[in-house]
Amino acid sequence: MSADSDMEYSDNDCEYDDYYNSGEDCDVERLDPKKTDPEYFEFVCLTVEEVEKLLNESVEKLNTILEITPSLAKVLLLEHQWDNQVVVDKYRKDANALLITARIKPPNPLLSIPDPLAPSTSKDAVVFGTSSSVSRSSSCSNDDSPRNALISLGICNTYNTVAPGGGIISQRCQMCPVCASSQMGDKFFSLSCGHAFCKDCWSTFFDTQIFQGISTQIGCMAPMCNVRVPEDLVLTLVTRPVMRDKYQQFAFKDYVKSHPQLRFCPGPNCQIIVRSPEVCAKRVICTSCHTSFCFKCGMDYHAPTDCVVIKKWLTKCADDSETANYISANTKDCPKCHICIEKNGGCNHMLCFNCKHDFCWMCLGDWKTHGSEYYECSRYKDNPNIANESVHVQAREALKKYLHYYERWENHSKSLQLEQQTIDRLRDRINEKVMKGRGTWIDWQYLFNAAALLAKCRYTLQYTYPYAYFMESGSRKDLFEYQQAQLEAEIENLSWKIERAETTDLGDLENQMDIAEKRRTTLLKDFFPVDF
Amino acid sequence: MANMAVSRIKREFKEVMRSEEIVQCSIKIELINDSWTELRGEIAGPPDTPYEGGKFVLEIKVPETYPFNPPKVRFITKIWHPNISSVTGAICLDILKDNWAAAMTLRTVLLSLQALLAAAEPDDPQDAVVAYQYKDKYQLFLMTAKHWTNIYAGGPHKFTECDSKIQRLKDMGIDEHDARAVLSKENWDLEKATENLFS
Ligand SMILES: [Zn+2]
Ligand SMILES: [Zn+2]
Ligand SMILES: [Zn+2]
Ligand SMILES: [Zn+2]
Ligand SMILES: [Zn+2]
Ligand SMILES: [Zn+2]
Repeated sequence: MSADSDMEYSDNDCEYDDYYNSGEDCDVERLDPKKTDPEYFEFVCLTVEEVEKLLNESVEKLNTILEITPSLAKVLLLEHQWDNQVVVDKYRKDANALLITARIKPPNPLLSIPDPLAPSTSKDAVVFGTSSSVSRSSSCSNDDSPRNALISLGICNTYNTVAPGGGIISQRCQMCPVCASSQMGDKFFSLSCGHAFCKDCWSTFFDTQIFQGISTQIGCMAPMCNVRVPEDLVLTLVTRPVMRDKYQQFAFKDYVKSHPQLRFCPGPNCQIIVRSPEVCAKRVICTSCHTSFCFKCGMDYHAPTDCVVIKKWLTKCADDSETANYISANTKDCPKCHICIEKNGGCNHMLCFNCKHDFCWMCLGDWKTHGSEYYECSRYKDNPNIANESVHVQAREALKKYLHYYERWENHSKSLQLEQQTIDRLRDRINEKVMKGRGTWIDWQYLFNAAALLAKCRYTLQYTYPYAYFMESGSRKDLFEYQQAQLEAEIENLSWKIERAETTDLGDLENQMDIAEKRRTTLLKDFFPVDF
Repeated sequence: MANMAVSRIKREFKEVMRSEEIVQCSIKIELINDSWTELRGEIAGPPDTPYEGGKFVLEIKVPETYPFNPPKVRFITKIWHPNISSVTGAICLDILKDNWAAAMTLRTVLLSLQALLAAAEPDDPQDAVVAYQYKDKYQLFLMTAKHWTNIYAGGPHKFTECDSKIQRLKDMGIDEHDARAVLSKENWDLEKATENLFS
C-alpha cells in the first residue's frame, strides 16, 4: 500500500517537473521563446564521460597549436577558464609571463633560497630545466620535435630528473632536504624551479595532499616556492590505484569548476554536469535527478532575485534565525471571534470555521481589503521620519522591516509545503469521485495541472520578498510592489479555488490559472534581468 | 609515529641545538616525550618590541604526517598580540597553515614566530579584540602587551596603574587573570570592565 502511494507520488513529481520544463503546453502559439519567456534557458545535461571528452578536446587543440604536453595544457586552460584563444594569444605575446602567472615557472629562477636543512646541496649536481636535462616523461621524450621555443624557456619538461644525462652526476650522492637522507642523484626530481627532492618524499607528499582533497593546486615542497606540480609528475610518482583515482577525481572537479559553461548538478549523489553557453541566473532542471537550481550560483532557483542578493538574504536569515523563530507558529486566533485556527493548507485567505469571517493569515486584516485593486498586505510601509529617530528606534524599525519580509518569505515557503498536502488530499477526493462513477481520472487531471502551476507561481512569489527587501525605495520599488501584490492576490485566488475544487468549474479555474501565470511572467519580464 | 617524521624531528632538534640562535639564547627547544611527538619551544621577545625581555613558551605537536603537514604550535605563555589568541594561545601564521612547505624546519618555525612578534599583522587577526586595540589605540596596546609580558613572560616593565585596577576587581572576588583579560579588553576602563563582568 505504502509502496503504491510512493509510486504515485513520484509519478506526480515528474508531471510537476514536466510542467516546469516545457512552457510550450501553456501557450500554443509561441514564436521565439527566447523573447517571450523570461525564464527560457538552453542547457544540456552531460555525463562525466561526456565532459571528460569535451575537456580533452580542448586540451588536444591546445597541444596541437602550441606543441606542449597535455599536462601543461591542462594547467594553462584551468588558469584561463578553458579559453583556448586567450591562452594562445597570451602565449604568443609573452610566453614567459604566461608560464610565470600560471605557476609553471618560478618568477625569478636565479633567486635560490638557502635551505637550512641541506646547506650542502651541491649546485653542480643538479641541472635544472635546461635543454640538456633528461626527462622521464614519455610524452616529452622526443626533444627533436619543434618544441624549441619551450626548450629555450627551460620548461620543455614540466619536471626534471636530476641526472643531466652524463651519468657521472647521477652516481653522486645527494641529500634530500625533506627526509634528510642521502641518495643517488637519479632518485631526485625537480620542477622548473630547480628544488630537488627524492622520489619517495614527492610521492608521500602527493599522497598527503590528495588525501586532503588537493590536486591541481599541489605546489613545490620548498619554502616560499609556489611552482605548481603538473599532473604528469603526480601520476608518474603516485602508484597506488586508489590515490591515482582520487587525484583524477579531484582534478576533474577543479577543471569543471574552472569552466564557465559547466556546473555540477547539486542534487544528492547526482553525477550530472550541466552545460550552457550562457552564464546566467536561469533555472536548470537536471534531467537525471530532477533537482532544479540556478545555473549561475548553483543554489535553489531564485528569480526575480539575483544571485548576490539571494546570498545576502539567506545569510541574513541564517544570522537572524533566532529572532525570526517565533514566527513559525501554525496557529493564529481569528481576529473577530478569537477562536484558535490552524492553517492546514497553503492558501492565505482564511475562512473562520466558527464565525465565517474572511481574513488574511499574514496580516490578520479583513480579506475584503485584499482584492487586486487594494492589496496593501505585501508592502512594507517605511517610516518616513526614520532618519530623525534615535538609534534604538531605528534598530527596532530595521528589525520590524526585516521581519515583515521574512515572515512573508517563510510563509510562502510553508504554503508550498502545505499545498503538497493539499494535492495529496485532492488525490483522495478524486479517487472517491472516480469510484462513485463521477468522471474519470482524466476528467480531473486539470486539477493537478492547476496545483503545479500554483506551486510555480508561489515559488516565484516567495523569491520576490528578498528582492523587495533589498530594493531602494522609489518609483521602481512602487511598481515592483504593485506587481507583487497583484501576483499575490491572484495566487491566493487560485489556491482558494483549488482547495474548493468541487464547487469551482473547469473554465473558472483555467481562467484563474491563466491570470496568475500572466502576472508571474509580467513581473519576471520587468524585473528579472536576462543578462547580469 | 612514522619513521620519516621521527628522523626529521631528531635532525631538526640537533639543528636547533647547534644553531647560533641558541648561543644567543634567542630560541630553545626541549623534548617532552620519548616518542618525539611533542616538543616544547621557547623564543625570546625580540628587541624594540613590547615583548622584549620576555621568554615565551610554545607547545609543539608533531603530526604523524610530518613534514608533509605542519607541526601544531600554540603559545603556552599568555601573550597580548593581534595574531595570537589571548585565550587559547592559538596562532594565525600562514606557514603553520596553507603556506607550510615540507622543507621547512622547526628552526624556521621558531624564527618565523619571533618575526611575528616583531611585526604583527592586525589585518589578519587571530584575536579581534587585540587587533582592534592595536589599530585604534596603539599606545594602550603597547602598555597592555608590555604588562602581559611582565606578568607572564618575565618582562621588565611594571605598570602599577594596571596592577591596582586588577586588585580592585580581585577584591570583588574576580580571578586575577580574568580581571586582567577583561580590563585589557575594555582598554583598562574599570567601569566598563565591571559592567562586563557583572551583567
Ligand atoms: Zn626525501
Ligand atoms: Zn620549488
Ligand atoms: Zn542531477
Ligand atoms: Zn543564482
Ligand atoms: Zn472567527
Ligand atoms: Zn494580509
